Amino acid sequence: MTETPSRDTVDRVTRRRYIAGAGAVATVAVAGCSDDPEVGEDDGAGDDDGAGDDGTGNGGDADEGDLEIVHWWTAGGEEEAYNALLDGFREQHPDVEIVDNPAPGGAGSAIDTVIQNRVLDQNPPSTFQIWPGQALTPYTDEGLLEDIGDSVWDDEMREAYLDDIVELSRPGGDLVAVPINIHRLNNLFYNVDVLESADVDATDIDDPQGLMDALQAVDENTDAVPMAHQTQAPWSTLQLFEAVFLGQQGTDDYLSLVDGDVEGLEDEVREALELLAEYADYYPEDAGSISWDQGNDRLIEGEAAFLHQGDWAAGQYEGADGFEFGEDWEMVPFPGTDGVYHSVIDSFVFPTNNPSPEATEQFLNYAGTVDAQERFNPIKGSIPPRTDVPNDEFGPFLTRQIEDFDNSNTQPPTIAHGTAVAPAVQSELEEAFANFNDNRNVDTAYEAIRDAF
Amino acid sequence: MFDRIRRSLAHRRRTDDGASDGPDERGEDGQSDGLRADGGTVTESDSVPLATRLRRSQFLESLPFWGPPGLLVLLFVYGAIGWNFVISLTGWEGLGQPDYTELSAEAYTTLLTDASFIAAFRNTIVLLLVFTVLSLIVGLVLAILVDRKIRFENTFRTIYLLPMSLSFVVTAIFWSWMYNPRIGLINESIRGVVGVLDGVVFWTTVEAGFLTQAWLDDPRFKLAAIIFALMWQFSGYCMVVYLAGLRAIPTSQYEAARIDGASAVRLYRRVIIPQLRASTMSAAVVLMVFALKAFDFLFVLFGVNPGSSADILAVMMYRVAFDRLQWAYGSAVAMVLFAMALSVIGPYLYLQYRRGEL
Repeated sequence: MTETPSRDTVDRVTRRRYIAGAGAVATVAVAGCSDDPEVGEDDGAGDDDGAGDDGTGNGGDADEGDLEIVHWWTAGGEEEAYNALLDGFREQHPDVEIVDNPAPGGAGSAIDTVIQNRVLDQNPPSTFQIWPGQALTPYTDEGLLEDIGDSVWDDEMREAYLDDIVELSRPGGDLVAVPINIHRLNNLFYNVDVLESADVDATDIDDPQGLMDALQAVDENTDAVPMAHQTQAPWSTLQLFEAVFLGQQGTDDYLSLVDGDVEGLEDEVREALELLAEYADYYPEDAGSISWDQGNDRLIEGEAAFLHQGDWAAGQYEGADGFEFGEDWEMVPFPGTDGVYHSVIDSFVFPTNNPSPEATEQFLNYAGTVDAQERFNPIKGSIPPRTDVPNDEFGPFLTRQIEDFDNSNTQPPTIAHGTAVAPAVQSELEEAFANFNDNRNVDTAYEAIRDAF
Repeated sequence: MFDRIRRSLAHRRRTDDGASDGPDERGEDGQSDGLRADGGTVTESDSVPLATRLRRSQFLESLPFWGPPGLLVLLFVYGAIGWNFVISLTGWEGLGQPDYTELSAEAYTTLLTDASFIAAFRNTIVLLLVFTVLSLIVGLVLAILVDRKIRFENTFRTIYLLPMSLSFVVTAIFWSWMYNPRIGLINESIRGVVGVLDGVVFWTTVEAGFLTQAWLDDPRFKLAAIIFALMWQFSGYCMVVYLAGLRAIPTSQYEAARIDGASAVRLYRRVIIPQLRASTMSAAVVLMVFALKAFDFLFVLFGVNPGSSADILAVMMYRVAFDRLQWAYGSAVAMVLFAMALSVIGPYLYLQYRRGEL
C-alpha cells in the first residue's frame, strides 16, 4: 500500500511532463506556421512580424496598409524586371511598405490556387498578377475586383493603350485590370546557320503548310531537329494550334472560334489539327520529356532549326554567349500571321476587401505609367502596352517587336495564356491537347474542343 | 479492447465497494439481517445519489482523455469528409460561395458519362492492382534473398529501403531523366547492350531503335513506366515487412521441412509463404492507399494533364477543382476516391477485428 501512491505520483509527473512537452511542441508548430519565410526573405521591405498578424484575420502575410503583391516572376530575368518595377515605385512612394509574395510555378500554375483560396477566404492580397481578358471572369462574375475605371484609368492612360488591350481589361464591363507588358506569341524563331545548311529561307514561308515543307527540307538536309517543340505539358501544342489556325484562317475566324463557334468552323479546326499532327513527326524524339527552354537550348546549340514560342524565348538567346540576333538567330511572324500581334498579357488588379486600398491604387497608377513600363519591359523581354514609351532602353529585337505591334492590324487574345477563354474552357482545351499529344487523333481532339466551349 | 479493460476495472471497483461497505455493515450488527433481505450491495448501489454515480462513472472519468482528440478528429476528418460530400451535391463553381439550398446528385451522374473520368478511373484501378501485386512479388523475392544470412545484410537492406525515404518529387524528376528517350539511362543502356551484341555476334539485323522507346510520351508505355518507377520506390518497403514476417517464423520449421525432404521451392511454397499472410495484407493495404495517392508523382511529371493514358483520379480531382474551379465536380471525384480507399481499408480492418487483433 505504501508503494502504490508513490508510483502513482511518479507516473503522474511523467504524464504531466508529456503533456507539457506536447504542448510546447504544438506551440512551436503553430508559431512555425504563422512565421512566413517569404516575408523574412524580402529584400528589406517587410518588417518581419508575420506572427502578429494572425489575430487581425484579414492581414494574411502583410500588415494592414502594407502593399502585398503576389506574382510568379521568380526566374532570372523576370525577377530582375520585377525588382526594377518595385524600385521605380519606391522612388515615387517611399512611404509604402511592399510585401513581396511570390507564388512561383510555370505560367502561373501555382498562383491560381494561392489566389483563389485567399479570395474564397475573403483574404486577398493588395494586388496580384493575372492575365487580363477572360481569365478575369471568375473574379468579375462574383464582383471580386474593384472598378478602377475612374481611379486609375484616366483619359491620358486610355489614350496611350490600344483599344483591343483596353477591352481585355474590362471583361465584365468595368475596367478592372492594368496591363503592364505584352509578349508576342506568333513568333517563329530559327537558327540561321541550320536554315542555311538546309537551304531554307524562313522569310519565304507563306503559310502553315509551307512551314511543313521547310521542316521536311531541314529533316532531309541536316541532322538537326526541325522543330524544337515540347509536348510534356500541353500548353505549347495548344498555342501552336492557335498559331496554325490563325495562319490558315485569319483573325476573324479565330475570334469566332474563341467565342465558341466550333461547329461552324469544324472543317477549319480539323484542317489545323491535321497539319498539327503532321508537324509532330518533326518534333524532337524526347519532346515529351523536356520543357520548352530545354528545346530552345538545342536551337541555340544548332541542334534544332525552328521554334514556335512566345518572345520570352528570346531572353534565352540574349543570355547565350556568342548567339547574336540577326546573325545566329532570327524570328519571323508565324507563317500566315503577318500583321497579327498575338498577345500574351500580364496585368495587375484591385481585389475587393483590399487590405491596403490606398497603396494598391498608388501601385496600379504607377504600373500604368511610362516610367514603370520602361523599367519593367526591357528586362522582361516584353513590350509595353502603352504606345508612347520611348524605344531607347529596348534592344534591336524588342524595338522591332514594338514597331510590329504599333503597325499590327489585330492583337487577338490567346487561349493558352488565358486572355481568350475562361479558365475552365482553357483547362479542358489543355486536356484535349494533352490527349492529342498522346495519340494525334484529329476526331477525338475535334470533339473535345467542341465540348470544351 | 476497451470493453475488456472497462470490464476488469468495473470488477475491481465492485470488490472495492464491497470491502469499504464491509465495516459499516459490521458496525450496525443488529440490523444486518434486514439489509440482507433487501438484496445486499447490488440494490444499495442503485440508491447511491446521482452525483456520486456520475463521479464514479468510467465514461465521465475518461472523457477528458479521449474527448478532445476525439472531437478534433470528428470535426477535422469526418466533418471535412461530410462537408466535402455536401459540396459535391451543390453544383458549386467559380469563386462565389456554395448554395446549400439546392442539392442534387448531378455531379455523380455526369461522372458516369465523362470520358476523362472513365479513363482516370480505369488507370487508377490498373495502377492500384498492378503496382501492388508487382511490388509485393519483388519485395517477397528480395526479402527471401536477404534472409539467407548473406554478408552485408544490413547494407543491402538499407540500399533497398532507401528509395522509400525519398520524396515523390525527387523520384519523379529522377525517373523522367532515366526515361528520357534521347539521353536517358534506360535507352542508353539498351543501345549499349545492343551495340555490344552487334559487335560480338555481328547480329546486325536487330536495331536498337526497336527496343528504345519514348517511355513517358508513348501512350502504350506511359502507365507501365509510371508503375515501374513506383514499384522501384516501394518494393523495398515490402521487403522490410516481409523480412519481419520471415524472422517471426521459428527456424525449427525450416529444419523440420528439410528433414521431411522438402525442396527449397516446396519449403517456401507450402510452409513459409502461407505464414506471411498477415505481412502481405498489411503491406498490400499500405501500397494500395499509396497508389490512390500517387498524385505527386504524376503531377511532377506531367502537371495537371497527364493525358488519358496516364490520368488518375487524384490528378483529375485537382484539375477539375483547382484548374476549372468546378468545386462540386472535384468533390464528387474526391468522394469516389474516398469510397475506393474505404473499400481497400474496410475489409482489412474488419478482418483484423474478427481475428481480435484490433
